[in-house]
Amino acid sequence: MIFKHKKLANGLNIIGEINRDAQSASVGFFTRTGARDETAEINGVSHYLEHMLFKGTDKISAFDVNLFFDDMGAQYNAFTTEENTVYYSATLPGQIYKAIDLWCQMMRPALRDGDFNMEKNVILEEIAMYKDMPQCDVQENCRQLHFGSHPCGKSVLGSIETIKALTSSQMREYFESRYVPNNITAVVAGDFDFDKACDLIEKGCGMWKPAQADRAIEYFAGTAKKESHSKKKLNCKHICLASPTVSYQDERSFAASLLSKIIGDDNGSRFFWELIDTAIAESASMHCEAMDGVGAFYSYIRTSSENGDKAMQIVENIFKSVKDSKISADELQKAKNKVLSAITIKNEIPMGRLLEVGINWVYLGKYRPIEEEISLINKVTLNDIHGLLEQYPLENFTQFILGPE
Amino acid sequence: MTIVGIELPAVQSAAFEFLIPAGAAVTPDGCCGAPTIIEDWIFRGAGGKSTRELNDLMDGLGLQHGSSVDSKHLTLAVAMQAEKLSKAIDIYADIILRPSLDSQQFEFSRQLALQSLLSLDDDPRHKIILLLREHFYPDPLGRNTIGKQEDLQNLTDTQCRQIVAQNFRINDCVLAAAGKLDFKNLCDQAEKLFGSQQSKTSNEIIQNRKPLGYTHYQYEGAQVHIGIMTDSITPTHPQYYNARVAVAVLSGGMSSRLFTEVREKRGLCYAVGANYHSLKEMAGIACYAGTTPDKAQQTYDVIIEEFKKLSDGIAQEELVRAKIGLQSLLVMQSESTIARSGAAATDYYMLGKARSLDEVKASIEKVTVDSVIDYLKKNPFDNFCSVTIGPTEIKI
Repeated sequence: MIFKHKKLANGLNIIGEINRDAQSASVGFFTRTGARDETAEINGVSHYLEHMLFKGTDKISAFDVNLFFDDMGAQYNAFTTEENTVYYSATLPGQIYKAIDLWCQMMRPALRDGDFNMEKNVILEEIAMYKDMPQCDVQENCRQLHFGSHPCGKSVLGSIETIKALTSSQMREYFESRYVPNNITAVVAGDFDFDKACDLIEKGCGMWKPAQADRAIEYFAGTAKKESHSKKKLNCKHICLASPTVSYQDERSFAASLLSKIIGDDNGSRFFWELIDTAIAESASMHCEAMDGVGAFYSYIRTSSENGDKAMQIVENIFKSVKDSKISADELQKAKNKVLSAITIKNEIPMGRLLEVGINWVYLGKYRPIEEEISLINKVTLNDIHGLLEQYPLENFTQFILGPE
Repeated sequence: MTIVGIELPAVQSAAFEFLIPAGAAVTPDGCCGAPTIIEDWIFRGAGGKSTRELNDLMDGLGLQHGSSVDSKHLTLAVAMQAEKLSKAIDIYADIILRPSLDSQQFEFSRQLALQSLLSLDDDPRHKIILLLREHFYPDPLGRNTIGKQEDLQNLTDTQCRQIVAQNFRINDCVLAAAGKLDFKNLCDQAEKLFGSQQSKTSNEIIQNRKPLGYTHYQYEGAQVHIGIMTDSITPTHPQYYNARVAVAVLSGGMSSRLFTEVREKRGLCYAVGANYHSLKEMAGIACYAGTTPDKAQQTYDVIIEEFKKLSDGIAQEELVRAKIGLQSLLVMQSESTIARSGAAATDYYMLGKARSLDEVKASIEKVTVDSVIDYLKKNPFDNFCSVTIGPTEIKI
């Protein structure tokens, strides 16, 4: 795989990873903006704006956007998080330049009032949909509780109230302040020609005016608050825990990620042996979210109502025991094996590489080849993991529980 | 046992899928849910190794593995770095041929299955798909793959052991692998591991189809979850690709009819879409939409209208887009060894052979507007199975 980079005069970065053996090519526009960059009044605007980009430009209607992508046989979508809004598509190599050209146009949307009002209904439906998914609902609530007034506590979807009150001019203002070229990275991966891709992006985006698009970065260890809520319709106890860890920029983020595998992988982890193998919980997992200047471990446990307290007792014991009686070299090695094989599988697909390469660039400002990633994982020692546990004790967790009445 | 192999020398991974003919529909009456228990139970020790030893071996190889139960099969799927393939097959031979099936471990597997059923009630989007298949397909083909509470509570380890002995018929298993592999080596290894197993015969399934109608399940959630299913044709039917193109016109990309009419023009839903679903015996098109109660009726009506309108005519451009979408997805999915091995296993089960990418692409290419309309006229969408879960009912 060959890496290429070009920075346009207006600050927009173009990066490419060329793999001539690939059967497809993917392109993504990574905009460094998300819920944490919103004010409380316009909470939800990043995600709503992501929908609005698909409504077209002054020259292209919403229906045309869908038509053009479908004409290319593209797989395309977008997602919004607390800190990124990512637009992407995968096509056969012959269609990649058409896809790049279309995305360049779409990144300057018309934001028509008619489309804005219609899409508001869709956003409200999406909020309702997640309310019927307690697994997502509990994690969303736990994140908000954990981060409290820190910007990362903002909801990606926003609330029914903020979405209803949001105006198209507020969205335009937000767009103009955040979708500036120096805040956007265009990423292409797979079988394609880098110079040709750059020419298209320069032609489509080179005239955009740069402007300051800062983000307040402040470390926060979490509130460690605990809340429990009940809903009549629920059958199971849905438990979400959050505790602090390192940021994406911290070199220990690989150790953090391995630690979450050791404790909460689907198979062979501490959670697996003590909660799933014993049938105390039906689902128990832990993952690490290393973010911009901040990070958190999230655990999700689903049990029957009767087993909830028992499961929590076990989880607390696990959190304590990994620190007191330590993690074994064997556990670490198994976690590494699983992560390394997942990397092999993910990296075979240009779309997998696109997200990896793009996110690395956004957070680290550099390209990390697969070999380097593998070497960084292999280098993690037990001391690194125990050091992490000392500095970020898992026992100081925030807890949110949703259960039946 | 049939072995299907796809050699992909340019990749670094390998994946395989075992189809074991032990799905929900072939389980004796009164034992609904046994495959879900067995799916967990067979991993609790095998080949003389304890659960922990087995798990350590799998984790030592870094296997990415999963399992699932559908109407006919218990499926075990694994992906890994290519050089680990042979060791992984050895482990899975133990799991399939020599599971410990320990009585004490049985209870844990049963408790987990009961909890899965319980948590299904908290997940109406998943639940409605299972309910839709249950109402649409004849019994026992459409059975809930997780099981029935009463049966799960009453099942014994002895019954489940008998089901394993009866349904883990190696002669009817399919092993499909894709990735950086040597097919001859794979066959030699499989022959050595599975070759001495005796053939067994399967029991015939007697199907009992109820008339299609509407069923509502009361649930005080935020949305009404709507499931609609109508008849289609199976992959062996000569007009099969016409059926697939018809579904793509209805709900392929975002310019397709359902997304445009329901979401883009009317803003009724966030999630709306239709998929083709097939068993060997029969097939259907399943549609899902989730919407707040005040919009549920309109959502349902618009979807049904779009289904019915399809046979009135399809524009040439719609057909071309649907075909490009299907062909391009096919090539992109082929980049994943997991998807490749899964597709090969299903193909073999459905058709008795694995289709090449070129063969599928050419078959899609042959579809014309006239051939799709001809298919739709012969197989009109006039009989719907409808299910809703939510705070309000709709009128059918």
